[in-house]
Amino acid sequence: MTAYRAAPATNAREAAEWSTGRVIRTNLRAVIGRAYPRVIGLTREPSWLFFEIFLPFLAVSAFVFVYRALEAPEEYIGFVVLGGALTAFWLNVVWMMAAQFYWEKDQGNLELYFTAPMHLMSILAGMAIGGLVMTSSRALAVIGIGSLLYGVTYDIEQPLLLAGVFLLTMIPLYGMGMLFASLFLLWGREAYHLAELLQEPIYFLGGVNFPLRAIGAVAGVVIATLPLGVGLDALRQLAFSGSGVQGVLPVDTEVLILAAMGVIFLVAARLALRYLEHLARREGRLTLRWQ
Amino acid sequence: MAVTDRTVAVRGLTLADAWRSFRTAIGLGWAIEANWSDPFLFAVYTVAKPLAAAGILIVMFQVITQGQNPEFLQFLIVGSALWNVVFGVMAGLVQSILEDRERYRMLKYIVVTPASLFPFLLGRSLARVVVSFVAVALTLLVGVVFLGVELRPNFVILVPATIVGVLAVIGLGIFMAGWCLQLRQEAWHYPEAIAGALYLVSGAIFPIDVLPGILHPIAYASPTTWWLEASRRGLLGHGSPGVIGGLPDALVMLFLVASTAITIPLALAAFGWFMRRARQAGVLDMVTGS
Repeated sequence: MTAYRAAPATNAREAAEWSTGRVIRTNLRAVIGRAYPRVIGLTREPSWLFFEIFLPFLAVSAFVFVYRALEAPEEYIGFVVLGGALTAFWLNVVWMMAAQFYWEKDQGNLELYFTAPMHLMSILAGMAIGGLVMTSSRALAVIGIGSLLYGVTYDIEQPLLLAGVFLLTMIPLYGMGMLFASLFLLWGREAYHLAELLQEPIYFLGGVNFPLRAIGAVAGVVIATLPLGVGLDALRQLAFSGSGVQGVLPVDTEVLILAAMGVIFLVAARLALRYLEHLARREGRLTLRWQ
Repeated sequence: MAVTDRTVAVRGLTLADAWRSFRTAIGLGWAIEANWSDPFLFAVYTVAKPLAAAGILIVMFQVITQGQNPEFLQFLIVGSALWNVVFGVMAGLVQSILEDRERYRMLKYIVVTPASLFPFLLGRSLARVVVSFVAVALTLLVGVVFLGVELRPNFVILVPATIVGVLAVIGLGIFMAGWCLQLRQEAWHYPEAIAGALYLVSGAIFPIDVLPGILHPIAYASPTTWWLEASRRGLLGHGSPGVIGGLPDALVMLFLVASTAITIPLALAAFGWFMRRARQAGVLDMVTGS
């Protein structure tokens, strides 16, 4: 374990006055520290690898076979595989971001986070970065296996834009997870049920298994609120550009929406966290399990 | 030091004791299942998931067929509705036993009481089963009212198929509950994984013929395949598209009864063995930190 390299203070006042550099360094350490278990978990928990690839892959396979039974055009198989990969990120956001503070409280870690000399946003950022790295491997596996097994062909004319849109989708997606992390704590005592509630309904609204345009006017609401739906719609347009797939909006517009969503969700997460901290300290509920 | 008088035989578990455990566990299960929120949010939770799951399939169907082939839509709706029971029973049994072990940490106390764990476990998970039947009814209702699904119930098939099929699914759930008690990590994921695998091979939302040939024996061996097929015939008056739909009703019921008759004794024996093993391995009060 590396030693903490701050200069020893000679009195209490000096110990309490941190330079900006020290604050930044401490928070960066917190980000790395919280991301570490998720990244290292890639190799330490093979069972995670199995379940996080196997479960989305099962769902992908079921929907692929439905399209096959309906004799759908081949690009729909690709839509499902891509949707399945994005589902892995959504599951990560719901279970390992949104519900995480709730689990942390149950296990007694939350009070430690609040009392440690760092910002809680650093913890959330660490969770997001670690989760993103961990889930990327799963999503790539789902895409790789699904594409090989079901013979999906991609038609990518702008690979850099595709990569950019993917990264831009992840910012509001994990920002939403950060926001929900506070809200789940505020809303009630059963994060499990709330997380469950954010699965099938979101898969439906986000157009995970079909083009988003198919849900008609509701797609407009989705485009305005759900980064998963906007990102997936843009990614499909870019990954299957030769198939004539029509998105709800042009990719350029969806990129702007994703950028705006990224800012909004991160700011909202910051505000929700501040409110949560205030409420938690005032009501003293940080250490209460199952509440 | 007092000497305990052992001349009076200790009576074993009676049917009345089992019934009392079962009844108490039902109340407990319902409280755990429903008390986490206000009734409105609970109702939304109960309704939203199954309807959204069915909604995904309906939109996929509409996008590709533009509403043609209504028989396939009926096939999808009934399969999607009934699958709530499979997942509800399996997840209910497994999560009941895991929650009592790891979250509420009550399993060891239940095991050491004179009551048997088995009736408790059945009662504890019943709330989820009831909720899953509500989901079935709602999905079918939406299908009938909004999508023109024509139900032509044939109770001669439907009633026995439901009873036998639900027993088979309970058998699978009991097996899973015992199995998950042995696991140190990821036990919570197993019902989802197994139910997901069965979903794939049981012809729930697509005909079995579409599956690769290597999976056909698994599909035909699963009681869920025959339960879904018999239930479709009992609800819709016709079977699934594909080979299985061409079989006579009597043969479908025979396969359902036969596969269930094999599943239940195997599941009960396995559960007994898993419980003995759990005691020996000292995992009845294990906390995996998950």
